Amino acid sequence: MALPTTPNPALSQVPAGYKYGWHDEAKPLHIFKKGLSAEIVAEISAIKGEPKWMLDRRLKAYRHFESRPMPTWGGDMSEIDFQDIYYYVTGTDKAVQSWDDVPDYIRKTYDRLGIPEAEKKYLAGVGGQYDSEVVYHNIREDLERQGVIFLGTDQALVEHEEIFREYFGTVIPANDNKLAALNTAVWSGGSFIYVPKGVHVELPLQAYFRINTESMGQFERTLIIADEGSSVHYVEGCTAPSYTTASLHSAVVEIIVKKGARVRYTTIQNWSHNVYNLVTKRAVAHEDAVMEWVDGNLGSHLTMKYPSIYLVGERAHGEVLSIAFAGDGQHQDAGGKVIHAAPNTTSLITSKSISQGTGRTSYRGLVKVYPGCTKSKSTVRCDALILSEEARSDTYPYMEIDEEDVTIGHEASVSKVGSEQLFYLMSRGMTEAEASAMIVNGFIEPIVKELPMEYAVEMNRLIQLQMEGAVG
Amino acid sequence: MTSGTSLSAPLRVDPDTLTANALAGLASARDEPDWLRAARLTNLERYLATPWPTGTEEEWRRTSLKDLPRDAALDENAATEVSALDPDSTAAGVVFASLADAAVTHSELVRPYLTDDVAGPATHAAFWQLARATWTTGTFLSVPARTRVDLVLRARTVQAAADGAMFPVTLVVVGEDAEVTLLEEFSSPDGSPSWFGGIVDLRTARGAKVRYASLQLLGDQAWRVSAQRVMVGQDAEVTTLNAEIGSRVTKLGLDIQMTGAGGTSRLLGLLAAGDDQKIDINSVQDLIGSHTTSDLLYLSALYDRAHAAFYGMTRVRSEAKQTSSYQECRNLLLSPGAGAEPIPVLEIETNDILRCGHGATAGAIDPTQMFYAQTRGLSADAAERMIVRGFFERAVADIGSEPIRARVLAALASRIGQDAA
Repeated sequence: MALPTTPNPALSQVPAGYKYGWHDEAKPLHIFKKGLSAEIVAEISAIKGEPKWMLDRRLKAYRHFESRPMPTWGGDMSEIDFQDIYYYVTGTDKAVQSWDDVPDYIRKTYDRLGIPEAEKKYLAGVGGQYDSEVVYHNIREDLERQGVIFLGTDQALVEHEEIFREYFGTVIPANDNKLAALNTAVWSGGSFIYVPKGVHVELPLQAYFRINTESMGQFERTLIIADEGSSVHYVEGCTAPSYTTASLHSAVVEIIVKKGARVRYTTIQNWSHNVYNLVTKRAVAHEDAVMEWVDGNLGSHLTMKYPSIYLVGERAHGEVLSIAFAGDGQHQDAGGKVIHAAPNTTSLITSKSISQGTGRTSYRGLVKVYPGCTKSKSTVRCDALILSEEARSDTYPYMEIDEEDVTIGHEASVSKVGSEQLFYLMSRGMTEAEASAMIVNGFIEPIVKELPMEYAVEMNRLIQLQMEGAVG
Repeated sequence: MTSGTSLSAPLRVDPDTLTANALAGLASARDEPDWLRAARLTNLERYLATPWPTGTEEEWRRTSLKDLPRDAALDENAATEVSALDPDSTAAGVVFASLADAAVTHSELVRPYLTDDVAGPATHAAFWQLARATWTTGTFLSVPARTRVDLVLRARTVQAAADGAMFPVTLVVVGEDAEVTLLEEFSSPDGSPSWFGGIVDLRTARGAKVRYASLQLLGDQAWRVSAQRVMVGQDAEVTTLNAEIGSRVTKLGLDIQMTGAGGTSRLLGLLAAGDDQKIDINSVQDLIGSHTTSDLLYLSALYDRAHAAFYGMTRVRSEAKQTSSYQECRNLLLSPGAGAEPIPVLEIETNDILRCGHGATAGAIDPTQMFYAQTRGLSADAAERMIVRGFFERAVADIGSEPIRARVLAALASRIGQDAA
C-alpha cells in the first residue's frame, strides 16, 4: 500500500497539548485502494451486502459529486486531493455490544480515550467508530425495552430497512452540495437513533469517532428520528492521530424532530490539525418541536460546518450554540442556519469564536423567513475574541426576510483581551497565560454551561490546552 | 469632425456597441478640449478591459442586470445646475460648477481627477469607467485648503428624456482643513425604462470636514447602477447621506477608503421604497489607517412589494491599529409583500481594535408603538407615518445640516405621505 506522498508543513502544526495524536500500527482487516471511482463506491456497497436501492443511491450520488464544482467560498480546500484518500478502511467485520469483543488494539484506543469508563458512569448508550466502521454499539437495556433504537447506521439498514428507507436522504438529499453527495456515495458508519412516541431518553447517547489510518476519509452518516413527544440528547466526540498529510472527515447528519419532540445534538470536535472537517448537518423540526445544536469546534485544519434547522411546523423552536477556537494554522468556518417555514416559529443563534496565533474564525450563518410565516422571531448574536495580531475573525450573517410580521435581529461584536483586564488579573498573581485563559473561559461561559458537566470540564480543559504556549 | 452642438445620431452606451469613434464624436459635438477627449478615450479603454459583473459575485447575487435598458440613448439634454457661491468663497478660490463647465473654465483643476486611474468600488469597476468615459453632466466642487464654506451648496441633475441614459460624474475635492456641505439631487421622468449610471468621487485632504448628501428621486422605471468612492484623509471627517426614494431598481456600490490615520466617516442611508422597487446596496468600509473611525447607519422603510438588500463589509486591515467601526442596518417592513436582506459582514485581520461590531434587524412596526400612537387619537395611517418619520429621524439628524434634513424629509412625503398636522 502506497504511503501518502505530499507532506504539508501547515498540517503538522500540532499544538503541544494535543494528546490524541498517537496512532495504532495494526494492519486493518480491509483497506480499499486509494482514490474514488464508481468501482470503489460499488465495492463499499458490496462489502456491506447492501440492498440494491442503496447501491443505486450511492452511484447516483457519486455522479452528482463528479459533476459539481468545489465550493469557492469559505476555507481553502485546494489541498484536498480526492484521489489521495482511502475511502474504506476497517479493522473489524461487525459492531459488537461488549468491549471484550472489540479487537485488542482498537479497544486500547478507546480505553485511552476513556470511553468505556464514561459509558459506565453517565451515558445511556455508546457507539464507537474506528476509521470506516462502527466497532462497538450498546444501549442500556431499559431503553431498548421501550423501543429505543441506537445502532450503527449500517446495522440499522440491515435490521430496520423500512424505517431507514423512509427517512434516509429526506433531510439532506444527495445533490444538496458536493460534499453531501460524496458522503452519500461512500458513507460508512455513523449512528442511527429512533426514539418512539413519548419516550424520554434521560441520559445522553454518545458516539465517539476516531480516525486512525493516515490519509483516511471518514464518511459517517447519522440519522436521528425523534417521534412525537419524545426527547433525546446525542453527543459526539472526535479525535485523530496527527499526520502531516491531509485526512478528510465529511459526515452527513439528518435529524427529524416530530411534533412536540425535543432533540439536542452536541459535538465536541477535536480532530488533529491535519483533518479537513467538511460536514453537512440539518434538522427538520415539526409542530411544537425543539431542536438544539451545540457545536464546539476546536480541532481540525479547516472546518466548514453550519448546522441547520428547518422550522416546518407551527411554534417549532430552534437553537444553535456555536463555539469555535482557531489556533495557529487553523480555520474554523462555522455557524448555523435557521429557516422559518411556518408561523410562530422562533430561533436563537449564539456564536462565540476565538482566534489566536495565525488562526482564523469565520461565523457564517443564515436566517430565512418565508412569506406567511407570521409572528416568527429570530435573534442572532455573534461575539468574537481575537487574541493575537496575526489572528483573523470574520462574520458573514445572511438574512433573507420575506415576511412583514416578524422580529428578526442580529448583533455582532469583535473584541480583544484588554490590557487592563490582563493587568488586573496578573496583579493578582496570575501568569499572562492563566489570565488570558480565564478571560477566554469567561467569554465562552454562556455556551459551556449548556454542556453536560463532563463535557463542560473537557471543553475548559481543551481551551486551556489551546491557550498554553500561545501567550507570553 | 466639425464642431456641432449635437450628435448626428444619438450615442448609445450599449457595452457591445460603444466605440472610440462614437465617443470621439461626442467630444467633438460638445466642443471639448483635447485633453478631455483623450481622457474619455483612456477611460473607455479601461472600461472595455473591465468585465461586467456576471451575477455570481457575492454582491451581485441579489440584483440581475438582465432587464437593464442597455441600449438606451445618451440623453443630450440632461443637465446639471448648481447654486451660486457666496462672494467670499469665490474669492477664496472655491470652484463649484457643472462638471462640463468646470472642465473648460478650470481644466487644470479638473483634469487630474478625470484622468487618474482611481478605480472606484471593485463591484462597480466597469460602471465607474463607463461613467468617466461617457458623462455629459455632473458636478464639480473644489475647496482650497483652510477654506470654510458656510452656505449649503446645492446641485441638481435632471434627465430630460424619459427613456434615456445619463452618467453624471460628481467630483468633490476638499483641501486641508477646509469645510463644505453639498446636497445633490438626481431626477428623471417617470414612465419609461431609463439608465442612470452616476458616480461620486469624493476626496478629502488632511483635516477636511465634508458633509455630502445625495437625494435620489429618479423616475419609477429608472435603473440606477451607481457607485460612490469616499477617500477619507488623515484626521478628516466625512459624513455622507444617501436618500434613496426613486428608481425601479437601484444597485449602489459604496467604497469608503479610510486611508489617513485618525480619519472619521459617518455613513448614513435612508431608503423609502414601495411598489416593486428593488434597492440593493453594497458597501466596503476599508479601515486601512490607524485610529480611524467608521460608522454606518442604513435605515429602510419598505412598502408594498419593495425589497431592500444591504451587503456591508467592514474590513479592518492588519496594519490598522486602534480602529473603531460599526454597521447598523434596520428594516421596517410595512406590508406583507415587502422583504429585506440585511447582511453586515466583518473581516477583521488584527486584534488591536477599539470597537467593532454590527447590528441588523428586520420586522414590522412594534405593535405596542402603533397601539400607543392610536390611543392618542391618531389614525392607523397617521400613526404609521409618524413612526416611520421617527425611524428615519436618526439618519437625517446625523447629517448635521438643517436645510438638508428639511429637504430630505419633504422629499419623503411622496412615499410615506404628508403629515396631517
